[in-house]
Amino acid sequence: MKRHFMAATALAALLCYTGAAYAEEDSKLVEPLAAYKSFIADHTEKLLDNTSKFTEAVKAGDIAKAKALYAPTRMDYETIEPIAELFSDLDHTIDARADDFEKKEQDPKFSGFHRIEHGLWSENSTKGLEAYADQLLADVKDLNHRIENLTFPPETVVGGAAALMEEVAATKISGEEDRYSHTDLWDFKANFDGSKKIYDLVKPLIEKDNADFVKKVDGDFKVVDETLAKYKTADGYELYDKLSEADRKVLAAKVNALATELSTLRGKLGLN
Amino acid sequence: MAHDHKTETSAVDSVDASRRTLLLGLGVAAGGALASSLPVKAETGDGKQVTDAPESHIADVKQRVPFYGVHQAGIVTPRPANGMIVSFDVIAETPADFDLMLRKLTERIVFLTQGGIPPVLDRKLPPSDSGILGPEILPDNLTITVGLGNSMFETRPWLNPLKPRCLQRMTQFKNDALDAELCHGDLSLQFCANTADTNIHALRDILKNLPEYLVPRWKQEGNVPTVLPEPDGTVHSARNFLGFRDGSANPHSGDDALMDEIVWIGGKDHDEHEWAVGGTYQAVRIIRNFVERWDRTPLGEQERIIGRRKMSGAPMDAAKESDTPDYAKDPDGKVTRLDAHIRLANPRTAETRKNLILRRPFNYSNGVTKNGQLDQGLLFIAYQSDLEKGFIAVQTRLDGEPLEEYIKPIGGGYFFVLPGAREAGDYLGRKLAEAAAAGPPTRS
Repeated sequence: MKRHFMAATALAALLCYTGAAYAEEDSKLVEPLAAYKSFIADHTEKLLDNTSKFTEAVKAGDIAKAKALYAPTRMDYETIEPIAELFSDLDHTIDARADDFEKKEQDPKFSGFHRIEHGLWSENSTKGLEAYADQLLADVKDLNHRIENLTFPPETVVGGAAALMEEVAATKISGEEDRYSHTDLWDFKANFDGSKKIYDLVKPLIEKDNADFVKKVDGDFKVVDETLAKYKTADGYELYDKLSEADRKVLAAKVNALATELSTLRGKLGLN
Repeated sequence: MAHDHKTETSAVDSVDASRRTLLLGLGVAAGGALASSLPVKAETGDGKQVTDAPESHIADVKQRVPFYGVHQAGIVTPRPANGMIVSFDVIAETPADFDLMLRKLTERIVFLTQGGIPPVLDRKLPPSDSGILGPEILPDNLTITVGLGNSMFETRPWLNPLKPRCLQRMTQFKNDALDAELCHGDLSLQFCANTADTNIHALRDILKNLPEYLVPRWKQEGNVPTVLPEPDGTVHSARNFLGFRDGSANPHSGDDALMDEIVWIGGKDHDEHEWAVGGTYQAVRIIRNFVERWDRTPLGEQERIIGRRKMSGAPMDAAKESDTPDYAKDPDGKVTRLDAHIRLANPRTAETRKNLILRRPFNYSNGVTKNGQLDQGLLFIAYQSDLEKGFIAVQTRLDGEPLEEYIKPIGGGYFFVLPGAREAGDYLGRKLAEAAAAGPPTRS
């Protein structure tokens, strides 16, 4: 019983940060956290703006425009994912895939980006998508509001770098995220950039004592960048099926290597 | 779960103890009020609980197979109860990367198979070990055997000229229904141990330590049933999922001269590269068994299809499993059918002696197919010094056998098993890595 009480207190402490509590321990993190909060705010604003244009195109029945806006709009969501995921209800309605529902694509609860993606690409139509478009915009507005009011827990931010890599490794590298549009490479770019941003912000704090580690991680991100860059086009990226087997394996290996390396970031910063 | 001999901290024990007493309805201070409303948990007479770990035996978990030697372990090593084959894509684009990968892989294999204590890190870091086996890794008879696939050599110009002579991409035989996702690979690892958890622990360790070199493609676990020795000490072959003893006529793996003849590259006449001496070819086949249909087949027909008595494993014309069938006396196949599995696989003539292979398979049991039938079968693994004369020749003879109604090969691959690492300081594949780094090779 005593153990349970102690566990509960620890949990409460984790969830209810006061500014003073972490400023004391992690004063060196104050600046990177502030910079990250600002980064997230920028991207969330862009997300809202782009989602507005995207959903407008959907409701107007402009299939071509909606298709063109789909992948670039998602990039900001994929970049802020460590924070967006804190709101699992919204993450579910905004970004869930058909697999997550019993009736798959036919399930009435299947909503968000991928529901619209399904309509646009599998059915080549915007019929019946109006309500989903409205819901998506409302959800992104809600997300924006919640993020504005959020105090960013340091562990979540720093841990987010690895969390993004874990997500790519477990659920995206096979091309299953954007299965109708095959625009996964846009998502990858955003996920890797989102992860790298966090790492870059805390790098100055660890490079003195972790020179080899920093060199290795820098190198791994560089390989990912160079690999993805091969697939750049005028307005974005090639479709996932253009990704060569060899390059897919390189990305898979690097994602796992980065997940392994970045999983030690919290520890290196003395965070729990 | 398999063998956690060292308990962790007393704090953990006291939590478990208080949980147990709560469940038993005896209550602790604050839990006292709850106690009366909980049903008293049934206990076995010896005080054991549902969640107590199954016990291991110290003799088993301490069994250690030496790593260093002319050959890798896990081939002629007596087969333990649990096995697993995992196939990988390899990311190593230069001879230097390749060399580094082999060194790291060898390092992990030495640790895992010889046992030791993984380093304890700061709590703020992920633990160095998954912890499945507890704080100390005991060998549990583990062997990890490394093979390289055709694609490893084909896609790397600095390895291509060094490819083993018979190594090739596994092609479809007449009865195959190969699933691309279960086939081929740059590198295979065969894990064998007394318990499945030891294999799983080893796999997770290797994945965690070599994430940028190895990306898993497919994996199949399997096991063999343990067998009670006869009163006279004879240990019969373990049974497969057709209920037949499997491995009755396997060449004796304890016979060094025979193994040199059938399995190992090297010694006298070989036309392989020097780096390959001490290695062997590995043929892996994931063979589904249609067990429902088999179980509905008359016993007599089962025995005619296989060519042996089911329960005893004896040939049709003899009394014991270890007896040899006399095909010369039965040229028309009246006793053992001409298309019986064992007769096609090994006609036992002077010419077919060169087709002998060493089999070391495991039974697998996965899920349920879309059609509501069981997905079980044989994780077939065979070793031979010549892939063409060995597995390929044997399977070609088997094409069209009556057993095909009941089996369906769906995956697998051909790999070349590296020679052994001779002593501490040596590592698996060293000679190949050195030859690759040296540039265009001269055939020795």
